[in-house]
Order: sequence, then structure tokens, then C-alpha cells
Amino acid sequence: MKKVLLLALFIAPLMAFSQGFQVNLEGQKQIGMGHTGVGTLQDGASVFFNPGAVAMLPENYLQGGISPLFFKSDFNPAGTSVQNRTANKVATPFEFYGVWGPKSSFWKFGLGVYTPFGGLTDWGNTWQGKYVLESLNLKAIYFQPTLSIKLASFLSIGGGFVYNHGSVDLTRAIPVANSAGDPGQAELKGSGKGYGWNAGIYIKTESGVTIGITHRSKVNTTIAGGNAIFSVPASLQSSFPQPNTFTSTIPLPATNSIGFGFYPSSKWILALDANLVNWDVYKTLSFDYKTNTAALQDTHSARNYQQAVSIRGGAQYKATSTLALRFGGGYASTAVADGYVTPEAPDANRVYGTLGLGYTLAKHLDIDVSFEYEHLMQRTQTNIESQLSGTFKTNVYIPGVSLAYHW
Amino acid sequence: MKTFKQHIYIIAGLLLLVACKTEIHTPKPVAGSADFSRYISVGNSLTAGYADGGLYLAGQQVSYPSIIGKQMQAVGGGTFTQPLFSTSQANGSGYLSLTGFNADGTPITTPVTTNLAIRGQLTVPGFGNVILYTKYAGDINNYGVPGIKLMHITYAPYGNLNSYFERLLPGNSPTNSTTYLDFVTAKPFTFFSNWLGNNDALSYAVSGGAGDVLTDKNTFAYLYNVLINTLTAKGQKGVVATIPDVTSLPYFNTVTVSAILAGVQKVNPAAKALYINALVSGSTYAPRAATTSDLIILTFPTSKIGQTVTTPYGPLPYGLTPYTPIDNQYVLDEKETALTEDYVTSYNTIIKNVAAAKGLAVYDAYAFLLNIKQNGMVVDGVSINSNYISGGLFSLDGIHLTPRGYAIVANEFIKAINNKYNSTIPQVNISDYNGVKFP
Repeated sequence: MKKVLLLALFIAPLMAFSQGFQVNLEGQKQIGMGHTGVGTLQDGASVFFNPGAVAMLPENYLQGGISPLFFKSDFNPAGTSVQNRTANKVATPFEFYGVWGPKSSFWKFGLGVYTPFGGLTDWGNTWQGKYVLESLNLKAIYFQPTLSIKLASFLSIGGGFVYNHGSVDLTRAIPVANSAGDPGQAELKGSGKGYGWNAGIYIKTESGVTIGITHRSKVNTTIAGGNAIFSVPASLQSSFPQPNTFTSTIPLPATNSIGFGFYPSSKWILALDANLVNWDVYKTLSFDYKTNTAALQDTHSARNYQQAVSIRGGAQYKATSTLALRFGGGYASTAVADGYVTPEAPDANRVYGTLGLGYTLAKHLDIDVSFEYEHLMQRTQTNIESQLSGTFKTNVYIPGVSLAYHW
Repeated sequence: MKTFKQHIYIIAGLLLLVACKTEIHTPKPVAGSADFSRYISVGNSLTAGYADGGLYLAGQQVSYPSIIGKQMQAVGGGTFTQPLFSTSQANGSGYLSLTGFNADGTPITTPVTTNLAIRGQLTVPGFGNVILYTKYAGDINNYGVPGIKLMHITYAPYGNLNSYFERLLPGNSPTNSTTYLDFVTAKPFTFFSNWLGNNDALSYAVSGGAGDVLTDKNTFAYLYNVLINTLTAKGQKGVVATIPDVTSLPYFNTVTVSAILAGVQKVNPAAKALYINALVSGSTYAPRAATTSDLIILTFPTSKIGQTVTTPYGPLPYGLTPYTPIDNQYVLDEKETALTEDYVTSYNTIIKNVAAAKGLAVYDAYAFLLNIKQNGMVVDGVSINSNYISGGLFSLDGIHLTPRGYAIVANEFIKAINNKYNSTIPQVNISDYNGVKFP
């Protein structure tokens, strides 16, 4: 008749998208120029950057690229000299675009497949925050059919429908030890979908400056019936019923952008973009388990994200008729307020620089390579929910390559 | 060949990215104004690493002094040696192991009785039986002796009566005459931790106020001064800890009056109250109905409730009438609790005053554990509270800590030391330490 044992365990998966999960790698030419492209027109990647500009493309495009991403986070727990580092794993954001329209027509149709959100972090199962997160593999693949129409020689508009296929695979330790002293394991694994849209307007001014304005809508992505796998000591298995599933909805935020292109000479393009990302839609993260027990309750974790801005700039210099050199950089503010930083994507204000090179391989074939280095400012935080306390610092290295066939 | 060379550059470039490491600059840990070259720990069972109702190797290896000692090595600390049980006798005194749950969710614990370190038993006239453990003869930094009270530190025959102290002494019981205080100070040291005094109140409380007495406050003050004066005689620095409130222990909060009564009423709805033999004043006890302010100890065999007891008034159910109250040894009643709390408060005032006078660091374990009892805490994503088993802090005996609990306490000691001496002893990763082990 001892008090009935209630295992009020702390099972609140902390999954979060953030600036850290916004993957700004949607076109190699654009990456080379600091990931600008709202107010300039380069190739089929305008399907993503500004669907309004697509109709202005002089040619049809078929192109694809990949940007292997090396995400290197380091965590120094408060009051220690310990460095917990993420494992070497390479995420593979990619982009594919097709743009077609009759020659010299007023319209063009486009299709984009790209990865605007994602994350791959593996902290391992021995680090200080293992009960918060061990590893996370998160992917969002957007499919975007697009129609763009030229209204006048100086003005075009366009819009697309977005279907998102999202997937998540999250692991963390559960603080219940077995007879060997090893902790339990939780894995949440599933995929889901969401819908949204993308629209833009593109203007060539009389002064020669080009201007683009776009809106990419919020995409509420719901993972329904994902697998909730719990491995715990046998005596506690009934508290973590198997099989079990979870449902969770995550709002991928809307992005508002304005961009400008300047053309000081026939060899130079200068670009400037500004983005406002409505991360403030992300208030709470809830996980709804199909089968609940006293130890396994649905969770509702406050996120309270804030709006984030980024400023990007870049340039292209056409060195020869077949070789283009590019460089750029930018600054992005964090969406995550103090007290809400989590190890999934230890977000902070960030700066980045890019280099790029474009080469005409053959008459209709371009190869573009880029390299981006991102530095997330060192950030010392105590998470309100997990009380994980320490300093995060992250560097990201992203080489990239693409081929574009145009005719 | 040309393309091969290009590939080499690409592969080399990618490998370079793999090799890149992000680095956070951290200042080198410093000792501040303290000297940690030989740290000793003075204390009782909590200091020894006692857990799950016994002292055994795995518990010793996660004792808070051993954690502190290891962390001190980053700031000039020397080797920290503990009087460990051998691996062949790893289960030491024996301990409780969680082996399952009953259908109602209550835990089943089973004593571990293999690979013990028992070498014999001795009957000491006028005292009783003393279990004799396998002697430990090596170097010692951790002087934690389970069961010891502050009251015992200058008592010469104590080495014959306490099995765990006898184990550390060269002589056999009953020939020992070295006091604990002389024993711990025999070899020079530069830094100490002291967490003595718990048993001066706890031994009374765990016996339901029936099997032991509270140490007199003046005696406590006198001995605490003697202890600290001796430990600081050569200018040594150190840290002391206060005594936790006994009511913050699951030993007193798991089996409750209302839970027992609810169980009784399921079978017998007419039952209105449990009866206990409660303190009136001085040493006068009288039966009365139990309230939620009366604390039942964890080891109370609840099956006794309702069993027929022969009384002058005929056969009556145990615990359910004023003529058949629950035995005093199972209950720390309201007045006994208040008395214990009064003594603990006084002891802690003495500890803090002496520490302040000597400029020592203080870890206020009383405030820390009371706060956990009232509010719980979250450490690196793990929720911790004072509940039995599920709280993660207290081991199966409901009094001593789990490895996680000892690691948390070690960090609190480290914080107190760093605070006082401007040192930066690194804290330990609590996630490396488990709570209660489940089958």
C-alpha cells in the first residue's frame, strides 16, 4: 500500500525549426552571390527566388544541384571545460528546376523541387544534453509548380503552389536506467505533408535597376501517425506502450522578400536582398501520442519564436565570355529568443560569406560551383524548459555544384 | 590524368571540411585561493557513497567526494583514494535491488546477499553484535563512515562498535581506541569537506523517535567547534554542508496516513481513522487518531494494519482503534517531527556560524533539498524531485542518494567551493549518472 508509483518522467520532445533549419541553398549561382536572387534574374532558380521573374527568362532551363552541408556545432556546458561536438555527418540539400515556355511567349511554366528547411545534428549518446536530444534528421522537400506571366516588357508576375513532404527522425535518451545503468531510448520517426504557395513580382525600372518582391507562405506541416518507439527496462514497458504513434504539426514560416539588382557595367551584377521571416507563428510545439499513460503524456512546449530578418548582398563579375566569378555575404538575425535555444539547431545571429564560379562548359551547358561559410555567433544560454546550460557555437561549411542546361 | 588530379583536389577539400572543428575557448581552471593537493572528506554514510540500504562498490565509486576529488584534479588536486570494497566482494554490506512492481504499482525490492565483504561478527558486551567487514588497509581520502554521529568523533571505543569504522582501522574490535577525529587528521591534508551531523537528528527520526535520541544542542555546538578547529588547525580551507530537513526524505513521505487509510476503507468503509501512539510531551506518549502531519516510515509493513491484536478489551484490529495503535517505531508523529526540525534548525545555525567564523565555504543542503521537495528541479532535460524511485534523486532506502543525486550534490559542493575561494573546479556531467536502476 505504498504510494502508487507515478513515473512522471520528462518526455517532451523538443523539436524545433529555426533559422538554423532554414536552408538557404536554392541555386548555385545565387549562393555564390550571397544567396541573393529576388531582384535579379539568372536561371531557373527564380522559380524559388522570385516566381514573378520566371517569365522574363530568355531561355528554357533544366538544372539541378546539390550542396553537401557540414554542420559543426560545439557545446561547452556551463562551469566546465568540456566540449561536446556534433558528429561529422553531411546533410544533402538539393535543388532542381525546370522552366519551359514557347519562344518569345508572354508566359513560362516552371517546376521547382528544393529543400528550404532541414537539419542533421548528431550529438551522440554520451553528451550532457542526451536527455534533451541525441540526434535529429529533419527534411522538408518542397514541390512547386509555377506559372509566370509577363504583363509588360518591364513587369512580370508569377505564382506557384507548394506541396511539402516533410520527415523527421529524432532520438533522445530517457532517464530510466536498466540493470546495467544504461538509459532508455526514445525515437520519433515519421513523415507528413503540408501545403502553401509562393508568389512574386519583378520590375525592370527605367534606370536599369531591377526590383523583385516575393511572398512565400506559411506551410503547416503535419506529421500524423509517426512511429513513437520507446526502449525502456522491461518493468516499465507498460508505461511506454508499444507500438505507439504520435501526431505533431509544425508551422514552417512565411518569408517576405524584397530584392534589387544593379548593373554598373556589362560585366557586373550587384544584388541586394532583404528577408523578413515570420517565425513568430511558432508559439508552441505539441506532441500528441495515440496511447497515453501516466508517464507518457502529450506535451506542449513553449517556443515563442520571434520574427527574423536577413540582409544579403552579392556580386557577379563576368571575367570572360565563359567564366563568371561571384562573391557575397549576409547577416541573419535569430528567431530564437533567449531561454529557448535548443541543441537541435542551436540558433544565434549569424554572418556568412560566399564564393562562386560559373563556367560555360558548352553552348547550352553551365556548371556552377559555390562555397559558403556560415558562422553562428557564440551564444551562452540556459534553456527554460530543459535547464541545459552552456555555450553553443556553430560553423557551417557548404560546398555546392550544379549543372544547368538551357535552350 | 588531369581530371584525376581535379578529383583529388575535390576529395582533399571535402576531407578538410570533415576535419574542421568548432572550438569554444574556455579559461583554464584555477584553484583560486585554495590548495587542493590533498583533499579529504569527513562525514557519514552520505559521504561514504552509501545507497540502497547498503555500502557497496558501485555506490562508493560514485560518492560525491570521489566526484569532487576527480574534478579537483583539474586544479592541482592529487589522487583521491577511497576505501573501496574489492571486486570479488563488490556487494560490501549487501544492499536492496529493485526487482519488479506489484500489480498496484508498488515496488518490490530484494536484498543482494552474494559477494559480501563480511569477515565475521563479534558480540560486544553491553552493546550488541557488530558485523566485521573485510579490512581496508590502503591510503584513504574519503573518511565517510556510515552511521557516525558528530557525537561520536571523540569517543575512543567507537572503532569497536561501528562496523564501517572498524573496517578502516588497523586493529580488530574490541581493541581499538583511536577516535574518528584523530584518525582522519593523522595524515596532513590541505582541503577538507565535512558533512557530519545528519545522524544526530536522523537516527532519532528513522526510528520513529523510539530507538534513538537527538544529540543535545550544546554538545553539538561544542563538538562542531572541536571538529572544525582541528580540521583548520594548520590553516586548511574547506567546505561544510548543513543537515537536510528529515521531512524532505521519501523515507517519511512515501507511505502516508491518507494512502493507508484509503486502502483500509476500500475493504472496510466504516474505518474512520488510523491510530498511532503519539508524543504528548517529554517522554509521555498517548494514542490518538493519526493526521496527515504524522509521518509513517517507508519500511512500515502495511500488512499489519487490521490484523487482530489481543487486548484487555478483546481482539481488535491493529492500527484502527485507540487500544491498538500503530507502534511508535513506525511513526514520526507531528510533535516528534517538530522536535526533530527544531534540532536540525539549531544544528544548522551552529554549522553556519562556525563556518562563517572560520571563513569556510558552506553548501546549504537543507535549503537545497527542501527546495527540491517543494519545487522539484530540472537538470539537463531530466526532471528531478523527492518522490520515491521516480524522483531520481533518492535511492531505494529513501534516505541516501542515487548516483544522479550524488552527482548533483557534488556539483553543489563544487559551486560552494568555487564561490568561496575564487576557484573554477569544473562541474561534472550529471547526465552520466543514473537514478534508480529498473529491471
